[in-house]
Amino acid sequence: MLTKRLTNFFTALRANTWARIFLITVYYLAIIAGLVVLYGKGDFSTPDFVYQGF
Amino acid sequence: MKQTPHSTASIAAIFSSIMAVVLFTIYAHLFEQKYVHSVAAIYHVDIIKGSAIQRMAIQQDDLLLVIGGSEIELLETPYQAYRFFSAYPTGFNVFDVSNKGASALTMAQKVAALGVDVRGKKVIISMTPAIVTMAPRGEVNTEHYAANFSQLQGMELVYSPYLSMETKKLAAKRMLLFQDSLIDAPLLKFALEKLASDSALDQVLYYASMPLGKLQLVFIRLQDHYATVDFIRHRSSEELKVTRKPNQIEWAAVAAVAESEQIKNTDSNPYAVDNLKWKQIEDLMNNPIPVGTKDDSFKAGVLGAKEWEDLDIALRVLTEMGAEPLIMSRPMNVHLWERLGVSEQAQNSYYKKLHEVIDPYGIPVIDFQEHDTDPYFSMDLASHTSRKGWVYVNQAFDEFFHSTAR
Repeated sequence: MLTKRLTNFFTALRANTWARIFLITVYYLAIIAGLVVLYGKGDFSTPDFVYQGF
Repeated sequence: MKQTPHSTASIAAIFSSIMAVVLFTIYAHLFEQKYVHSVAAIYHVDIIKGSAIQRMAIQQDDLLLVIGGSEIELLETPYQAYRFFSAYPTGFNVFDVSNKGASALTMAQKVAALGVDVRGKKVIISMTPAIVTMAPRGEVNTEHYAANFSQLQGMELVYSPYLSMETKKLAAKRMLLFQDSLIDAPLLKFALEKLASDSALDQVLYYASMPLGKLQLVFIRLQDHYATVDFIRHRSSEELKVTRKPNQIEWAAVAAVAESEQIKNTDSNPYAVDNLKWKQIEDLMNNPIPVGTKDDSFKAGVLGAKEWEDLDIALRVLTEMGAEPLIMSRPMNVHLWERLGVSEQAQNSYYKKLHEVIDPYGIPVIDFQEHDTDPYFSMDLASHTSRKGWVYVNQAFDEFFHSTAR
């Protein structure tokens, strides 16, 4: 019953152009967000090193 | 529309992303503006390789940017400028952009990264004689350079619209010698190689790389904003509190107190070396070499140091960017160097060379030579600033800040 309802829901969604565009947009935004989370953070601190001044 | 849901969706996603970036940049800018004075008064080496907060700092009328090295950072003391001026006693605080091991080449990149914001603004470039008197084989220490190198600042210099090709070329040739720093920066390395080359084709390739370089800079600047906001958000409200207490500073009295504190902190030895550094140079000090016997090698080392070439690049950058700089050196620690066999006369070659390099630019320079025989001005052989020395340095900062344009 639930499967049938879901199938009907997604079939209706696929038939609605704006809903499709919205979902694909969300999908693309999720990919972009994922890339930002994975690779977006920079490091602007000084790494550990031995200061060799006397 | 029906046939192109992916095109429409990708355009919408890209537009939304650009909007998010713009909104975040505006938010970060406002956030940095709100807290820049708080950051000035706390230790912020975690974001020193960015430029967002530094650019914000230099726009403030009551902050003085100080770009320097270990002479600023080594001794943790209330006399350090960013602590000494934290309550704005004379109307300003310094914004410290200093780190151990910094040299003129990384400083040049830091200045270039300030972009148009540095134009007409006072900035201090701080240095110590150790950068030339103790340079390994006359070259900048590669580990020190790598630790202080910032891809953002390097790229800002390489793609700066405010610098001449000649200056960029000189900087590129030097930066390419520190290959380890470029391992994770292939585009920057490519641009540096093309800049350093004399071939016309390489010049074309440098310009061809510019759009990609500018695009990468957009992303790194965003990362910098994020790192800055993240740094500030992790500070407590107590740390971020700024208190302003106008106060007249009696410099001579403060110097006398600082000297007595410095004397207490040198009680491990008879040479006025700070206890913090004594163990490192104990053997050298206890086995003196006849004065004058090392003069020739000392002078050859000082005069041939590559740091002068880098200082010249930094001076070019400062001039072309339109900054109003003051170069502040520290004095030689004469009596300690005499124990290493170098006479005072030979030590003076440092000041001579310093002025030879800087004076043609018409940039004011303070060398504190009048203090080089004061055993308590510096804390060690490398002329790192002592508690007493800091008082004189702070006084010079104060005078420079309140002076009218040169």
